[in-house]
Amino acid sequence: MLRYLALKGLHGAVLLAGLAVLSFVLVSLSPIDPIRAYLGDAATRMSPEQKARIADRWGLNDPAPLRFSKWAGRLLVGDFGVSRIFNKPVLQVIGERFWVSLNLMVSAWLLSGLIGFGLGVLAGARRGSGLDRCIRLYAYILASTPAFWLGMVLLVVFSVKLGVAPICCASPVGVAYAEATLGEKVRHLALPALTLSIIGVANIALHTRQKLLEVLESDFALFARAQGETTWGIVRHHGLRNILLPAVTLQFASFSELFGGAVLAEQVFSYPGLGEATVLAGLRSDVPLLMGLVLFSAVFVFVGNTLADVVYRWVDPRIRLGGGT
Amino acid sequence: MPRKSTLSTVAVLVCLLACSKEPPPDGGRQPAHQERKSVSCEEVVVVEAEPAEGFDPLLGWGSYGNPLIQSTLLQRDADMRLVGDLAESWSLSEDRLTWHIRIRPGARFSDGTPVTARDVAFTFNRAALAGGKTDVTVLEKAVPTCPYEVELRLKKPQITFVNRLVTLGIVPEQAYGETYGRNPIGSGPYRLVQWDEGRQAILEANPLYYGPRPGIRRVVLLYLKEDTAFAAAKASSVHVTRVPQILARQKIPGMAVRSIPSVDNRGICFPVLPAGAVQLAEGYPVGNDVTSHLSIRRAINYAIDRKALVDGVLEGYGSAAYGPVSRLPWDEPQGAIPDGDPEEARKILAEDGWQDLDGDGIVEKGGLEARITLLYPTDDAVRQALALAVADQVRRIGIEMVVTARSWDDLYRLMYAHPVLFGFGSLDQTEMHNLYYGKRQGDRVHNPGFYRNEKVDRYLEQAMTAKTEEDAIAFWRKAQWDGETGYSARGDAAWAWLVNVDHVYFVDDRLDLGRPRIEQHGSSITANLPEWRWKEGTCSATSP
Amino acid sequence: MRSPLALRCFVPAAGMSLRAKTLGALALSAGLLLAILVMGAWIGDHGLSTDLEVRNLPPCPSHLFGTDWLGRDMLTRVLLGLRLSVFVGLAAASVGAVIGLVLGLAAAGFGPKMDLLVTWFVDLAMSLPHLVFQILIAFVVGGGTRGVMIAVAATHWATIARIMRAEALQLKSADYVQLSYKLGRSPWWVARRHVLPHLWPQFLVALILLFPHAISHEAALSFIGIGLTPHMPSMGILLSESLRHLSTGHWWLAVIPGAALVLVVKLFDVLAENLRRLLNPRTSQE
Repeated sequence: MLRYLALKGLHGAVLLAGLAVLSFVLVSLSPIDPIRAYLGDAATRMSPEQKARIADRWGLNDPAPLRFSKWAGRLLVGDFGVSRIFNKPVLQVIGERFWVSLNLMVSAWLLSGLIGFGLGVLAGARRGSGLDRCIRLYAYILASTPAFWLGMVLLVVFSVKLGVAPICCASPVGVAYAEATLGEKVRHLALPALTLSIIGVANIALHTRQKLLEVLESDFALFARAQGETTWGIVRHHGLRNILLPAVTLQFASFSELFGGAVLAEQVFSYPGLGEATVLAGLRSDVPLLMGLVLFSAVFVFVGNTLADVVYRWVDPRIRLGGGT
Repeated sequence: MPRKSTLSTVAVLVCLLACSKEPPPDGGRQPAHQERKSVSCEEVVVVEAEPAEGFDPLLGWGSYGNPLIQSTLLQRDADMRLVGDLAESWSLSEDRLTWHIRIRPGARFSDGTPVTARDVAFTFNRAALAGGKTDVTVLEKAVPTCPYEVELRLKKPQITFVNRLVTLGIVPEQAYGETYGRNPIGSGPYRLVQWDEGRQAILEANPLYYGPRPGIRRVVLLYLKEDTAFAAAKASSVHVTRVPQILARQKIPGMAVRSIPSVDNRGICFPVLPAGAVQLAEGYPVGNDVTSHLSIRRAINYAIDRKALVDGVLEGYGSAAYGPVSRLPWDEPQGAIPDGDPEEARKILAEDGWQDLDGDGIVEKGGLEARITLLYPTDDAVRQALALAVADQVRRIGIEMVVTARSWDDLYRLMYAHPVLFGFGSLDQTEMHNLYYGKRQGDRVHNPGFYRNEKVDRYLEQAMTAKTEEDAIAFWRKAQWDGETGYSARGDAAWAWLVNVDHVYFVDDRLDLGRPRIEQHGSSITANLPEWRWKEGTCSATSP
Repeated sequence: MRSPLALRCFVPAAGMSLRAKTLGALALSAGLLLAILVMGAWIGDHGLSTDLEVRNLPPCPSHLFGTDWLGRDMLTRVLLGLRLSVFVGLAAASVGAVIGLVLGLAAAGFGPKMDLLVTWFVDLAMSLPHLVFQILIAFVVGGGTRGVMIAVAATHWATIARIMRAEALQLKSADYVQLSYKLGRSPWWVARRHVLPHLWPQFLVALILLFPHAISHEAALSFIGIGLTPHMPSMGILLSESLRHLSTGHWWLAVIPGAALVLVVKLFDVLAENLRRLLNPRTSQE
């Protein structure tokens, strides 16, 4: 296991390095004027001589490999630069917003896992029934629904029409997130988490249902039925353990979707997390912040995929006991 | 089959929403038990626009309203008359080149240091270097002649310089530096206590202020987006917030809609020269072959129905604008034209030889089609709405306007060759002067159309060098229309001004705002913040 | 294909073979999609003109989907928006898919080094959340519709590349392909004559399966503001503009366009699924 983790770590490091190179190359090729990107409005008031001096100072006229090594060097010691939009170090912005987003993503993740799993089991156990058809239809429609639109519909129904949910933000207006009570945080979390979880629910439900059907049609299920076991008995004693694994694996592998979905959910609900920061960085040409977020999200996805792999290896006795990849 | 289920589900969903209730004009119910929260007499919460570069007057803070944290030499009272603030007395020399200011002794900055003439001189001299929003470029030098007396020497007479005395906040020479914007020290009625960037700033009454104490001791300025601000107002979390016109018809129990008249305007600037007539150093394209025709510009002005724009886009919260200074004493009403007249517009075009020969609905002249690109800055919904509505009005007379959104970066490049929907509006005539003065041709957002009319230039110069404001007003008006020519729609039609946009706010019923000042482009209702107070018996005396 | 379908239309569905049902579903979804897109062309952009007098109307007989805050007919806007979103999504997906095809084939046919390189690039492309990668690409390219198209293409080539590579590798080990190599044919010839014809149906199916994702991604990107507003806005822009008006209670501005988008995406899904079933030699005769 340790050897596996070390290899994985190396793999991740190489991936990150490659991503760093790719991002750097992309940004250098872009038509964005770096001075304008870094200084914003102030740049328009500068004379060409002032701009040339700054370009020199920042080493913008150095050859690309030199610029890259300087930048990479700074990254390695943790200097991700300063975000132009927030006037704070990039790592600080990411750090502050990470917790806000994490609460959202974890809630959505748990919701989608639990609800999806439950629906999938129900549908699989009652194959062909009205309930099964309903659940399948629901999942089927949801799978192609844009999450952000669903969020908007929820907003219209629950916040504007019924007035039971707040219309935005992670905490009440004027109250810093760190100072809000748990109750307030949960209240503001409810709709965005629901929105974010909905698509995940569809996928998990369908996947779980499929797996359960496989179990119910397997030999040992047949054997158990011959001995008088009911469907629910089979599900409880044999099914759950076997389908839990694929479901959990799928959940961990969905970190990528989670992050992407969070970007949209935060946009609809003005939720001040990493997703909102990514959009702002992209729209307002905040290069340091954008790069920082790109690398961070890659780490996030990588951790998710690795966890999925680890869980898979740990739980599947064949792999754990049998050894070998 | 799946498609049917999808369709029927969607249909059911839509029905549910449609049948649930008529979209209420009051923007959704308030749960019955939720009343306005009680307020403390000591605090008020206001939604404001965040100053991107901090609270630094030299970078533009407070240049339209009241800097609040700093004090200015002069102020305008509710009737627009000049009154002294930091200045005790002020006078202009005979040759109109030197202002003599005497400031009150005993004024102190919030850190305890006294305000002296050196600070005033420092502020003005620094402002002259900074350029940009403060525009004190006509100043040659500010010289402190005595501890509390200062001379402001101008390069040439400029009647509008007095406005700088009203809007430029005084900063301490000793404490000013690069980080001043984040730790501003001033001698104004308030001082900055806390600033959480992107979220809020908190002001408290300055105990060392020389003037009367503000009516409310503590002010929380929240930086929120439009719909968030509205939701916060509904939830009783803010007491004053500006709202876009589309939300003005909503109802919030306990709050009233206040529409403050303003000179904040929107208008379309036309390139007046033909393409390629002038070369710019940066290489940006200059001139537009279509809008360089006077007939086109005049026709557009006649075709636009400004009242429809005010009613339809601004929901009535505004007024028609025929020039940049509509509603002000120096506006020349004769410069306006009876608009909303497509017939007259078509006549003007026809008389100049514009005809639709190929039947595509767009007129041509000499092979040139009347097609132009109208640009507006992205993310501005009101300008987008105005641009689209104007384009449709103008299409009826055969001119095609292709409406496109662009970032400000792009606009700075393209504005010399394409019409742009700008927003201006100031009580300072310098702005009008800069928009039409020939020597300001191509000076960034001032006169990007390269407009120049020798007679107009002379009037503008005469206004600037006039002895008194009344004399100046006569010349300001002549520049718009003197009976034969002028920059207004009746004359050269260099612009198509559209509307004045009133600033609409939701204000808590219990709040007394005193007499709000007429607003300008970029200003807000907080200009008279020290005059606000909670009405008798509505607030509790406890600290927040 | 016409007459069997026509006959079977009058036969209760229960009696139809799976193949017939599949064909039916295929024809219907394709037909519906075509109808929506044609309606968009036919309705013209008259409804796009502002008409301030009739602004903010809820759905009613003269304006089936209501009007927006400028009096523009929402039915027109939705139909035209769908056309634009579909066009951008399809174009981007196609470009991405072709790139994926080429790279996937290259990985399989040009030796282990090329394979390693391509696989590594695929891993790289899939290491980021789609939306984040798209934001980066769109930012780099400079935004606008072009930015959206390039961004969507850039995030979709990897899936196709993986599939095509796997299929091509499998094919490479087939006897007849090995025979061709032994007989002296070049990798290009093998690719053209043996590999491509076999992969064509899979490619087509994978491509069409990409469409719903591409359209959704296009909508998401323009929703967050990446594409600037062209004269005819796409669905994402429609929805993002209506977000501003949610507080006014004008629900039809957000609910109806989104529902229409769901419908179109679903139709493409159905189209792709049924096409896959049809083209897969294992299931096509059920």
